[in-house]
Amino acid sequence: MRKKPRYHSLKKLKIRQDWSRWTLYSIAKLTRPDTRTKTYFQQKWAAKSDTRAYHGEVIREKKWKRQFKRNIPAVVPMDHRYLARNDGSEQAAGRGAGADVEETKYAPQRTPYMQMTYYPIERRLDTAIFRALFSSSVRQARQFCVHGLVTVNGKKMVYPGYMLNPGDMFQVNTESVMFATGAQKSRSSTGRKVDAEKRAARADSWTNTTPTDAEPSIAELAAKSTRSEPTPTELKEHLQTLMSNVEEVLAAEVKAKDKQKFRSFRQEVKKAIALWKTASPETISTLDSQFDFLKARVAASSSDSPADSSAPTSLISPEDQLKLKQAFDRLKEKAQYDAAWNKRDASKPYATPWRPKDFMPAFAFIPRYLEVNQNICAAVYLRHPVARPGLAEVPTPFPFETSQLAFNWYLRRR
Amino acid sequence: MPPRLGSTRLTSKASSSSSTLTAAARPSTVACTQRQFSQTSSQQVTRRRREFYQWLNGPGRQLRKPLPNSTNYLGAWDKYGNLVRAPPTWERKTPEQLEKEEAEKAKAKAKAKADAIEKAKKEGEEGKAKTPAEEEKPDDLEASVRRDEEKAKAQEEQDPNYLPQESEEDLQPFPLNRYFRSQPVLSEALREEIYQRVTRDGATVSLASVEFGVSNERVGAVVRLKQLEKEWIAQGKQLAQPYAKAVLQMLPQTPFIDQSLPENKNTRPIPHEPINDLIVHPATRQQLFVPVAESRKFTREDAGKAFANDLLPADARIPHPELVQAEREIAEGLPRAQREQRAVERFQKEQAAKAAAEAAKKAEEARSRNVVPQRRWDYVFTDVSVERAGKDGRGVGGVGWRYGFPHEDRKKGQVKIPTKVDA
Repeated sequence: MRKKPRYHSLKKLKIRQDWSRWTLYSIAKLTRPDTRTKTYFQQKWAAKSDTRAYHGEVIREKKWKRQFKRNIPAVVPMDHRYLARNDGSEQAAGRGAGADVEETKYAPQRTPYMQMTYYPIERRLDTAIFRALFSSSVRQARQFCVHGLVTVNGKKMVYPGYMLNPGDMFQVNTESVMFATGAQKSRSSTGRKVDAEKRAARADSWTNTTPTDAEPSIAELAAKSTRSEPTPTELKEHLQTLMSNVEEVLAAEVKAKDKQKFRSFRQEVKKAIALWKTASPETISTLDSQFDFLKARVAASSSDSPADSSAPTSLISPEDQLKLKQAFDRLKEKAQYDAAWNKRDASKPYATPWRPKDFMPAFAFIPRYLEVNQNICAAVYLRHPVARPGLAEVPTPFPFETSQLAFNWYLRRR
Repeated sequence: MPPRLGSTRLTSKASSSSSTLTAAARPSTVACTQRQFSQTSSQQVTRRRREFYQWLNGPGRQLRKPLPNSTNYLGAWDKYGNLVRAPPTWERKTPEQLEKEEAEKAKAKAKAKADAIEKAKKEGEEGKAKTPAEEEKPDDLEASVRRDEEKAKAQEEQDPNYLPQESEEDLQPFPLNRYFRSQPVLSEALREEIYQRVTRDGATVSLASVEFGVSNERVGAVVRLKQLEKEWIAQGKQLAQPYAKAVLQMLPQTPFIDQSLPENKNTRPIPHEPINDLIVHPATRQQLFVPVAESRKFTREDAGKAFANDLLPADARIPHPELVQAEREIAEGLPRAQREQRAVERFQKEQAAKAAAEAAKKAEEARSRNVVPQRRWDYVFTDVSVERAGKDGRGVGGVGWRYGFPHEDRKKGQVKIPTKVDA
């Protein structure tokens, strides 16, 4: 059996749908197709071979041939002012209508239809996940689907070849996304050895000396300095104010369902107050945002019924609200982000604190047919990709000529 | 066998032009330069690998990490690894350096502000005798503000590390494909504002679309995603915050311009995308020659009919035909109050028509469905037609088991992937 060619080969530079250094190198070394020494068939073959290595490399050729469409969707942006002021007859007006001088006509940009050759592939779920920057390669996106980490409209979808319909929302497990796009966890054997030695030394020091004698390490000092802003007493005070706010809200007239939520929230706060010594900024900030959300809900529901319009105003006085907000904005900016969301955590499968993978910025773009919310790792497939004057929405690294040749390859016998 | 540098050309290049870092990282190649007698058969492979690493440690190194406060695409760099848009004085800084500098700047700014306030206080004490007429007029104030801004801008431009905005070429992730570029995404603030406009203020999707310059579908998607995000927050689920922050810093963004703020009074909101996209109808793809008398007024409507009988003119097919109508009324010279009234009337009419259509649909459904309630389960009878199975009896609309036609779902090659998932 013939040996399978390498996925990333320096001998034959193929561009693949991933964020690897080989792909970046191949994109940088890409040239226009050779039209002088090759026959037309050779040109088409080479173009097809190169483009298929990038677009839907996991799809069998026969399947792709069936998916290929020679009609390519396009749009033209219209100016509503122009449409209102002209009825189109001015374009047909000639000498008979009194037009004497040939006016310089507005030439719109060319629509790059040929760059859209592979647009049906962009509809696939795995490709869309890759385009939404949720995975570092299409193969990885495929694996996410197969492993059941992807939902479409809230239902698990295990088929990477599912064709998204306009309006479909797909969502990937956030931890998997962080793993796929984050820097790799790496520790060399020496690093591991050093760490083990350190740990042993630390254990020795703890057993030999009392903890009060031990000098605080630099890391501990740093942690102290970042934590110095919200002292435990402050945290407790804040929790108590939050608690009193909740009680005020409960006293005011609200719907039973909301009340239930508030009660459960109050219990959580109570628990937090009990544990205030161990309270870190992150637990507080989530509680705070929860409360904000609930309050907004109550305000919205009560504003519908004008009878109890005094309820939202009685919740918290605006000054107090402002104070609360200011105090917690600072916390959110620094402590929450660094300490809660992005802290050092050895149990995570990626390098912590999280940072993007190497070479990710060179590949970070989101095409316009997707609307992505990165916070929850969800995206909506708005519509099929289209060509418009001067712009094609299918991300392809190849020059116009190559795409045209590939299009022509699939056009034959059709 | 260790690799070898063959020709003298390459030896000289490796010793002179390549950076010291490359040589230090892989000392074996330097050591190999003397081994001219090597019998390695595939020198090509080593050459390719060497070139690959040379590129990766040379021009490619700049793409490894994000550029602070900017995008970082291949199109922005030339092949020697220079940022094309940067002035010659520019040098790349690490995020830590930048943070330090910014902290210093903020300190200096705060100090300047405090000084200014003190100065103003002093002046106020001195100039209390002044009459109000002598005080600065608002125009003067604005002019002074503008002057200050210009000064700040000039200073920024003089700053040796000032990086100008990206041009279109700088936003090309694929240098050879000039028809694709990274287009801005909605910033967090803009998303939040769109969500608030629709949910809190009760704006319709098309109204929000016009207001923010964001297409109809995108407005709907933003609201849906934001809603989900809020639910996650309420449930106390962990968001992918570090990821979101990093990704949004790498992408070009459409900022939200809050016009309620005094400093943004005269700035216009930045439209995110064209909202009136006309889909190219397949019937208009062909070239058509229609002889028309020059005296005849041949409008868009006539052109549409020439292509296909049921093809409507562009005014009716764009997503926001109400904008055209409003513009026409402006051109007619109607007073503002009348235009507003007409717009409201049109809107109400449209809403009423929509509601009526929905009600009719519901009534039709209720008419065709007959529900017989039982103790535990309800029987539902729906009207079906035998004809829906089609001529060959295999139509998708057909209902029930059709005698003589076996199900093919166990046959080879039957695709089981769902074609749609209901929301």
